[in-house]
Amino acid sequence: GPKNLKSGPLRSSARNQRSQRAANRRETFLPESVNVGSEATMQGGSSGIGYGLKYQARCISDVKADTDHTSFLTGTLSLKEENEVHLLRLSSGGSELVCEGLFSHPNEIWDLASCPFDQRIFSTVFSTGESFGAAIWQIPEPYGQSNSSTLDCVASLDAHVGKINCVLWCPSGKSDKLISMDEQNLVLWSLDSSKKSAEVVSKESAGMRHSLSGGAWNPHDVNSVAATSESSIQFWDLRTMKNVNSIERAHVRNVDYNTKREHILVTADDESGIHIWDLRKAKAPVQELPGHTHWTWAVRCNPEYEELILSVGTDSAVNLWFASASSEKQASERSAEASRQRVNPLLNSYTDYEDSVYGLAWSSREPWFFASLSYDGRVVIESVKPFLPRR
Amino acid sequence: MATEAAPMDEKAKRMRDLLSSFYTPDPSISTPTSSISTSFDNINGPSFDADQYMDLMIKKSNLDVLLQRHVQMAAEIKNLDTDLQMLVYENYNKFISATDTIKRMKSNIFGMEGNMDQLLHKIMSVQSRSDGVNTSLFEKREHIEKLHRTRNLLRKVQQFIYDLPARLQKCIKSEAYGDAVRFYTGAMPILKVYGDTSFKDCRRASEEAIETIIKNLQTKLFSDSESIQARAEAAVLLKQLDVPVDSLKDKLLEKLEQSLDGLQINPDEASKLAEHNVSSKDEESNNQGPAKIHEDAVRGFSEAMRAYREIFPDSEERLFKLARALTTTHFENMELYIRKRVSAADFLGIFREYSAFPPADVLLLSNSLRIIWEDVVLMDEVLPEAALSDLSAEAAQVTLKQFVARTFSHLQQDISDTLLKFDINQKEVVDGEVLKVVLEASGKAEFRQLLDENTGIFVKMNDLLIGWIQKGFQDFFSEKIHAGLILVLAQLSVVIEQKVIPRIAEEITASFSGGNSQAFIPGELCRVFHAASEKLLQHYIDTRTQKISNVLRKRFKTPNWVKHKEPREVHMYVDMLLQQLEEVGKEVKQILPQGTFRKHKRSDSNGSNTTTSSRSTTLHSDKMARSNSQRARSQLFETHLAKLFKQKVEIFTKVEFTQESVVTTTVKLCLKSLQEYVRLQTFNRSGFQQIQLDIQFLKAPLKETVEDEAAIDFLLDEVIVAASERCLDVTPLEPPILDKLIQAKLAKSKEHNNNNNKTTVSS
Repeated sequence: GPKNLKSGPLRSSARNQRSQRAANRRETFLPESVNVGSEATMQGGSSGIGYGLKYQARCISDVKADTDHTSFLTGTLSLKEENEVHLLRLSSGGSELVCEGLFSHPNEIWDLASCPFDQRIFSTVFSTGESFGAAIWQIPEPYGQSNSSTLDCVASLDAHVGKINCVLWCPSGKSDKLISMDEQNLVLWSLDSSKKSAEVVSKESAGMRHSLSGGAWNPHDVNSVAATSESSIQFWDLRTMKNVNSIERAHVRNVDYNTKREHILVTADDESGIHIWDLRKAKAPVQELPGHTHWTWAVRCNPEYEELILSVGTDSAVNLWFASASSEKQASERSAEASRQRVNPLLNSYTDYEDSVYGLAWSSREPWFFASLSYDGRVVIESVKPFLPRR
Repeated sequence: MATEAAPMDEKAKRMRDLLSSFYTPDPSISTPTSSISTSFDNINGPSFDADQYMDLMIKKSNLDVLLQRHVQMAAEIKNLDTDLQMLVYENYNKFISATDTIKRMKSNIFGMEGNMDQLLHKIMSVQSRSDGVNTSLFEKREHIEKLHRTRNLLRKVQQFIYDLPARLQKCIKSEAYGDAVRFYTGAMPILKVYGDTSFKDCRRASEEAIETIIKNLQTKLFSDSESIQARAEAAVLLKQLDVPVDSLKDKLLEKLEQSLDGLQINPDEASKLAEHNVSSKDEESNNQGPAKIHEDAVRGFSEAMRAYREIFPDSEERLFKLARALTTTHFENMELYIRKRVSAADFLGIFREYSAFPPADVLLLSNSLRIIWEDVVLMDEVLPEAALSDLSAEAAQVTLKQFVARTFSHLQQDISDTLLKFDINQKEVVDGEVLKVVLEASGKAEFRQLLDENTGIFVKMNDLLIGWIQKGFQDFFSEKIHAGLILVLAQLSVVIEQKVIPRIAEEITASFSGGNSQAFIPGELCRVFHAASEKLLQHYIDTRTQKISNVLRKRFKTPNWVKHKEPREVHMYVDMLLQQLEEVGKEVKQILPQGTFRKHKRSDSNGSNTTTSSRSTTLHSDKMARSNSQRARSQLFETHLAKLFKQKVEIFTKVEFTQESVVTTTVKLCLKSLQEYVRLQTFNRSGFQQIQLDIQFLKAPLKETVEDEAAIDFLLDEVIVAASERCLDVTPLEPPILDKLIQAKLAKSKEHNNNNNKTTVSS
C-alpha cells in the first residue's frame, strides 16, 4: 500500500543508524525492517517485534479507539531535528509491526495520549527547548491529499506557563473532557473536535509547594484524578476541583489505576520500586514490588488481567509482575510457606533494550500485547501470553 | 296405875307383833324362841289356849285379881279393837290412796308412748351430736398425741444438747473431730434457733468446744507435717463447720504466693549459674547447687499445688492464676533481666570480656528459659487444664521477641552512638566486631534453645524467631538509622549464614542422635539469611544512592538550565557527591572484606579493551588540543562512535559482598541517575559546559575509588552524551579552560581539606 511505501525510506534510515550500532552489540534484534515473528526464538530468547524510530523517544500510546487493529502511536524527542509521530499497527497474525502513518510534529514530544473515542485524534505535550506546549492533533484522512503527513491541529491547550507534564483523556470513552497538568496547575478542558476548539472548563492551582509531575484518571470514577507531586499522591475531585485526599509518598514518578479492580492504584518510585495501594486503606501500600535496578519509570496495569502489572525502568528492562495484591487477605491467610512457594512476583524481565525504557502501553484490544519504547527510539511489541494466569 | 303403864308397853308390843304376824306370811319366823316358856300363858303367843289360860287364872288368883284381870283384859281388848280399827282404817286409807295413785298413774301413763318416742328421738339426736363432736375432735386428738410424742423426743434431744458440750470435750480429747463436727452440725440448728433460751449455756459451751476444734483443724490444715489426706479432711470438716474456707484458702494461697517469691529466678544467681557453666564445666556439683535448690522449690510448689487442688477442688481457677502468675513473674524477671543485661552491655569493656566466651546473657537467657520450662512441665502435670505450656510458650515467645528486639535496639543504639563519635575509624571496627559477636551469639543462643529444648514449643518458635529477626531488620529499615548499620547487619547475616548455621547444624546433629531434627533445617535458614543479607546489602546501597540522588535532584531542579551562565568553577554538588561516596567507601572498608583485586585481572583478559579506551583518551586530548568548537563537536561525535564500538558495558551487575563491588555499584547507580537527570533537562551552551566541567572533574576521583574503570568511563561519557543530546547549542569547553577550572577546584579542595585537618587537629 501507499503507506508502506511512505514509511519505507524512514524505516530504512532508522535501520542504517541502528545496524551501525547493532553490528558490535549483542545481536538481540534483527534490524527493524525484518520483523521478528513471535515464533522466531532469538539468541536472547526474545519474542519481541521491533521497530525503530529515527530519533530518541519517550512516549508511546495505545490507540484504544481503533477496534479493528492493534495499533500504537509514538512520537520522537529530538531537540534539533524534525520530530515525528508514528502510527504503528500490529499485523493480524501478530508477527509484524507496520508503520501505518508517519507525521511530522513541530516539537519534541514529551507526552502523547491517544483519544479514547476517535482513533485519529491524539494529544501531545511538547517542548521547544525553552517552553512547553500541549495540543490536540488529528491524523488526516488516510486516502486524502498527498500532503497527508502533516497533522491537523485540533486545539492548542495553551493555558499553561511552566513545564507541562501530561494530558489525560477521560477514560469513560465518550466524554470530550481532557485534563492537562503542569507543575502547578490542573486544567480541565472541554473539547469540540468538530469545531476545532477546546475550552477551559476549570483551572485550579495545586500550590507552589506541590510540584506536580503527572497523573492518572480514575477509570472507575470519572470525577477523580490522581496526580503525583513531589511529596504525595493527590486525589482531585473534578466537580469541585479540589484536592480531596492524598497519600504521603515522596518522589512518585508514575501512577496507574487498575482498570479491573476499583480502589487499586499502582505507583512507581525512583528508588523504592512499585507500590500497590488500596485507596480505602491508603495508610500503607497493600503490596510492594522491588521494581528495577535503577529507577522505575512507569507502571501499567493490564486492562484485562487484573494481576498483571508491567513496569519499565532506567535499567533498560521491562518487568512483568504478577501482583495478587487484590487477595491480600488470602495472602496473609496462606502462611509463610505459601509465600515461599510464590517465591517471586516477577514473572519475566525483558532485558533486550539498549537504553532506558520510558514508554509503555498495553494493547486494549489484544491485552496480551504490550508496546515498550526505549530512549534510543526502539519500539518493541511483546506478548505476555506464556505468562497469562490460567483461568 | 303404875301397873297399867307397864302392861301398856307390853300391849303395844304385842299389837305390833300381831300386826306384823298378820302381814308376815310365815309365822314361824316371826315368833321367837323366847315365847316357849310362856307359850301357854302368853296371850300373844300362837300356842295360846284361852281355857287353859282360864283354869290357870282361876286356880292361881282370887277374885279381885281376877276382876282386875278382867278389867285389864277388857281394856286390852278394847285397845286392840281400836288399834285394829285404826289399822283397818289406815290400810283402807292406804288402799284408797293406792287406788287413787293407780287411777292417777293410769291417767298419767296414757301419753307415755308419745313421750317415749320423743325421748327416743331426742336420745338419737344427742347420739349423733356426740358422734360429730367426737370426729371433729379426732384430729386434734391425733395432734395432741403427736405433740405428746414430740414432747417425749424433745425431752430426749434436750438431754442430748445438755450433754453436747461434754460430748464434744470428750471428742476433742480423743481427737475424733469428725464425730464432733457431726454432733455439732446435728445440734447446730437447734442451737441456732433456741440458743437464746434455756440452751444458752449449753450453746456457749459447745461453741467454745467447737472453736477449739476449729482451731485444731486449722492448725492441722496449715501444718505441713500432716498428711495430705488429713489436711483434706480437715478442710472438708472446716467447710462443714461453715468456717469461711475461701478466706482460709486465700490465706493458704497467699502463703503459697509468698513461697513463690523464693521460687523466682534470681538473675544474679542465674548469672552465677551461667558463669559456672561458662568457666567451669567440670565442676558440675557446684553447678548443681542453686539449680538443685530451685528445682526442689519448684517441686515443692507443684506438690503444694497438687495438695491444694485436692483440698480445694473448686479453687482450680485460683491455682491456675497462681501458676500463671509464677510463670509470668518468671518471664517478667527475665525481661527485667534482659533489660538490665542489655543496658549493662553498654560497657563495652565488660562486654568484651563476655564475648571471649559465648556471651553470658544469652546463655543465661537460655538457661532461664530451660528452668522455666522445666517448672512449667512440672506444674503442667498437676494442672493440665491451666494450659500453662501454652502460656509459657506465649510468654517465652514474648520474652525471646523482646530479647531479640532489645538486642537489636541495643545494637542500633550502640552503633549509632559510636558512629556519632568522631574517631570512627578504630572504634567502629572494634565495635562492629563486638556487635558481630553479640548478634552472632544471640542468633546462636536462640537456636541453642532449639537444641536444649527438644520440645514442641521451641519447634514452633523456630519460624517465629526467623520472623522476628527479619522483622527486626525491617524495623531498622523503617527507622532511618545510619546506613552503616545496615551494612553491618548485612555482613552479620552473611556471617550467620556461613558460620553460625553450620555450627548450629553440627551441634544439632551432635545432640539429636537421629530423628526429630525437623525442627532445624539449616538449608532453609541459610536461605533465609542469605536472602536477608542480600536484601540488606541492597538496602544499604539503596539508602546510599537515595541520598546521593537527593543531592542530584536538587542540583538539577533548581537552576534554569536553558538560561545557565558561563561556568566559572566546578559546581559544589560534586563535592557533596564525592563526600557521600567517600563515606560509603569508609563504611565499606570497615565492614566488608576486600574482594579479589579485579582491576588487574580485567586488564589482563581484556587488554584490548583498555588499550582502546586509553587510545581514545589520547585521541581526546589530541582533539582537545585543536581547540575549536567545531572540532570539539566532532570529538563529541567520536565519543558517540567510540561508544558504539565499545562492548556493551554491564552497568547493573550483581552486588557482591566485597568493598569494591559495593562502591562500584553505588557509583554506577549514581552516574546512571546523573544521566537520567540530565536527560530530563534542556541545556544552553553554558549549561552543557557546566555539566562537562563537573563530569571531567569527577572522572579522576571516581576512577580512583572504583574497580570497574571501563564502566565508569562509559557512564561518564553517557552523561556527557545525554547532556549534548539535550543541549540546544553544543559547544564544549576548550580543554585549557577546562583544565584551569579543574586545577582551581583541586587547589581549593586541598586547601579546604587542610583547613579541615587543622580544625580537627586543634579540636
